[in-house]
Amino acid sequence: MNEKFDYAKAIAELEAIAAKVENPETKLDDIDTLVGRSKELLKQCREYLRTVKEKIDSLDKE
Amino acid sequence: MGERDYMDLLELQLLIKEGVANAFPGKFWVKAEISSWSPRANGHCYLSLSQSRGGKPIAESRAMIWNWQYPRVKQTFEQATGQPLQAGITVLVRVQVNFSELYGISLFIDDIDPAFTLGEKALERKRAIERLTAAGYMEMQKELALPDVPYRLAVITSKTAAGYQDFRNHLLHNPEGYAFHLDLLEALMQGEQAPASIREALLEAGQQPYDAILILRGGGSELDLACFDDYDLAVAIATCPVPVVTAIGHDKDVHIADMVAHTSVKTPTALADLFLQAYQAQDAILDRSRGRIGMASTRLVNREELRLKTLDARVQQAVQRRIGDMDRQINAVQARIRLALTKKLSAQENSLLRASGRISRGLSGKYNQVARQRDTVVHRLQFAAAARIGQEVSNLALREARIKATDPRNILALGYVLVTGKDHQVLKTVDKVAVGDRIGVRFTDGSLTAKVDEIYSEKIDNKKVNIA
Repeated sequence: MNEKFDYAKAIAELEAIAAKVENPETKLDDIDTLVGRSKELLKQCREYLRTVKEKIDSLDKE
Repeated sequence: MGERDYMDLLELQLLIKEGVANAFPGKFWVKAEISSWSPRANGHCYLSLSQSRGGKPIAESRAMIWNWQYPRVKQTFEQATGQPLQAGITVLVRVQVNFSELYGISLFIDDIDPAFTLGEKALERKRAIERLTAAGYMEMQKELALPDVPYRLAVITSKTAAGYQDFRNHLLHNPEGYAFHLDLLEALMQGEQAPASIREALLEAGQQPYDAILILRGGGSELDLACFDDYDLAVAIATCPVPVVTAIGHDKDVHIADMVAHTSVKTPTALADLFLQAYQAQDAILDRSRGRIGMASTRLVNREELRLKTLDARVQQAVQRRIGDMDRQINAVQARIRLALTKKLSAQENSLLRASGRISRGLSGKYNQVARQRDTVVHRLQFAAAARIGQEVSNLALREARIKATDPRNILALGYVLVTGKDHQVLKTVDKVAVGDRIGVRFTDGSLTAKVDEIYSEKIDNKKVNIA
């Protein structure tokens, strides 16, 4: 994962994607791309949260 | 010059001795400072008593304690005052003025009043405390902050002090493994020179970036504590820029050095504990912070996970909805297509039906025409066939007549015979017959077989055929 992963930015993008997908105006062709991107972002966010969790756990092991 | 009246020295001294004895018949209590002090090997103790004013001596006298009195005097005094009998202290002594023709005036001491010295000491102490308080020295060290984790420590003590080893072991061999930087600054910890020696060490240590300076007496006589009430030492401690911690170790009272110091404890072990506890306290704070950070972070992560889940669900739902919409649209389109197709099909069917009706109608017309044509042909064929058959019949009759005319049986009936060979072939010549062959002879009413006996060929030889 990218060292400089910007979680807040990723979340903002996800919010935007959700809003776009919910918008009936959005074309189905675009939705496919958007869903793909959302999957990618979700994966990155979860991975990021997991590393944060691991760091929290490692606090106790010092 | 006439003869002078004189006496010898001894006479004079004896006169003085007598005079002194008369003038000072009993014993007197005298207040004086012990300015020098020298117990001798023979057990007697020689000392000087003096009085000063403005730092200058204004009176002085030799004195001594006999060896049979010295131990008792010393012990009584030291036990009562907790202070060694030594130079520099002010005492109230009971003296007998004695004049020796050989040594001159000497004061024989047979008692020292401890209560007086205690009072003197207390007074002196009180005055020192008052001066220190007035000058603000008492609070100076208290305003310094001991670092949260004091690491660089200077210990002022005598190297041989047992207490120093206790302190060192206790501090450095702690179970938590806390590390310290420890410097030893040697100083005299008892006697007259102690205050100056300790001040010097303090001055030196105060210039270094120590976290704390420790004054550790660590053993030695319990009677040597007066130096820790020294005014100048107290000032040196108070003005030291580094926090000073004292462990002078005396349960009976608190010394001025203890009062002006940042912190004071009683024993070397307690001194080590003070620093270990500082570390333990920091450890506890770290643990708490770690716990709080952990909890807060976990809460945050959980919240974010929920947020991600919600976003994911939103996208999924929206997509499902869109897919549902599309499904419905597709179904609608399909239905329309099906309907249109069905319509189209039934239209086609109708037109097909119409067409087939027309076709069948057209066909039957055609058929009748064809049938008529066929009938005509058949008739013609029938005619032709009948004609042909008649012709054939007459042909057959002709042939029959011809066949009848050539039938061999008709010939046989005329008396001819038909000879057949081995293979029942009609023999037309003798060429194919050999002597001994069996031949068949057919008559009109039957047949027989015969054996060739002789053959006569009209072409080759004259042999005759004998029919057996």
